[in-house]
Amino acid sequence: MQAMFSAWVQYLPQLLKGVGVTLELTGLSLVVAVVFGFILALARLSRIRGLDLLATWYVEIIRAIPVLILLFMAYYSLGQVGIALSGMTAAVVSLGGFYATQYGEIFRGAILSIDRGQTEAAAALGLPSSVTMRRVILPQAFFAILPPATNQLSNLIKDTSLVFTISLADLMYQTYAALSINFLPMDMLLLAGVIYFIFYLVIAKFLGRWELNVQRSRY
Amino acid sequence: MSNEAVISAQRVTKRFGTQVVFEDVSLDVHKKEVVAIIGPSGAGKSTFIRCVNQLHPFNGGTLEVLGHTLTGGGPPPSREVLQDIRTRVGMVFQTFNLFPHLSVVNNIILAPREVKKIPRPRAVEQAMELLAMVGLEHKAEMFPRRLSGGEQQRVAICRALAMDPEIMLFDEPTSMLDPELVGEVLAAIRRLARQGMTMLLVTHEMQFAKEVADTVVIMADHHIVEQGRAAEVLDAPATERAQVFLRRILKPAEVDEVGEVAPARLRGRL
Repeated sequence: MQAMFSAWVQYLPQLLKGVGVTLELTGLSLVVAVVFGFILALARLSRIRGLDLLATWYVEIIRAIPVLILLFMAYYSLGQVGIALSGMTAAVVSLGGFYATQYGEIFRGAILSIDRGQTEAAAALGLPSSVTMRRVILPQAFFAILPPATNQLSNLIKDTSLVFTISLADLMYQTYAALSINFLPMDMLLLAGVIYFIFYLVIAKFLGRWELNVQRSRY
Repeated sequence: MSNEAVISAQRVTKRFGTQVVFEDVSLDVHKKEVVAIIGPSGAGKSTFIRCVNQLHPFNGGTLEVLGHTLTGGGPPPSREVLQDIRTRVGMVFQTFNLFPHLSVVNNIILAPREVKKIPRPRAVEQAMELLAMVGLEHKAEMFPRRLSGGEQQRVAICRALAMDPEIMLFDEPTSMLDPELVGEVLAAIRRLARQGMTMLLVTHEMQFAKEVADTVVIMADHHIVEQGRAAEVLDAPATERAQVFLRRILKPAEVDEVGEVAPARLRGRL
């Protein structure tokens, strides 16, 4: 036990160097996933022929493919056809592109869960559909979105660890680098697990509090 | 009542797939007139008034609303026409449909702010006047779920009125309410009628229809079976279908299992 703690203290700085990359990767991928996911949801809900189909196909295909394959495709396969992406860009594109399908379906479900009477009341008042979406539907969909969105965020955080396979120096990469030198896989992997866990805990707590505050202010 | 028809339906027909919702509905609503549509469930009353502000498209006939001509089965009206109709025609729903995430006052000012671009202080002032009219100014900061059904419906009336509409549509405004809360909502509608608001009202409240409506339209089996002056239609309906409907709803306790109202002299023996 004593030995493990001293190993932790010794290698913590190295692992923390990777945390910055993991945070950056999570943040950027989340932004891509949320923005692109929202576009996918709107496209699937739109009545424009072809657009809904295109979005549906994208969602059905991409979410069925392992993230690791998407990551390798973005990093290696695109390079083969002359589109060379940096490791970070390839990671954000593949993680964001994959999680957009998850967020898209969460948004779509939440929007559809809002009572039809709400849309009708807004239409009867002459509100344009963009205003209806922004002021009536989305604020109500928020509660249906937050819990599953938090859940997907925890998956996204964990999946960022895949980027160590393309040598992006994230937390997992630094962990692997450390244990290759000190031959303490148990100590190093446990420490990495604890850091991932704390990372998730902070975010989940924050989102939970946010949800509670909004809920309190409304009812 | 002037002669100007602000709503004029000519043989309007609505189908969902092959199912006929209503057929050949022709009726006029004049400026300052109150028209009540009554009739059994499933007759197409609610669907018809939803066609007026185009919450539903329809399949046949023409419908003129405030100078715009809508044609059944034709291309959908342009965004501008739709917007013009909907801002000038207010609607109150059976299920209130208040926005649950907005306080009472924010429910009322949303459309004036977003559509008419009225500055917030002015919109709030106007909302408070409307709330005072229905006796709810002290509930302005509350959220809809804290209000009773009757209060919610009165707020919904204020929300529609805040757009300063020329016509009000009421879709069974009291049928979701506890009996003891019906009166307060009817009082608000009655006041509007007295102020000369043009109204098209779907209702099951016969006494109320008789009291406030100038014209009563009875819809049954997907058609208009009778229309005319309120008192005449309700007291002395000419068609048999209208007679049957009115007997059933005016004397529900005397209706037998097959839906007939037994003649009074026989009832003692049954």
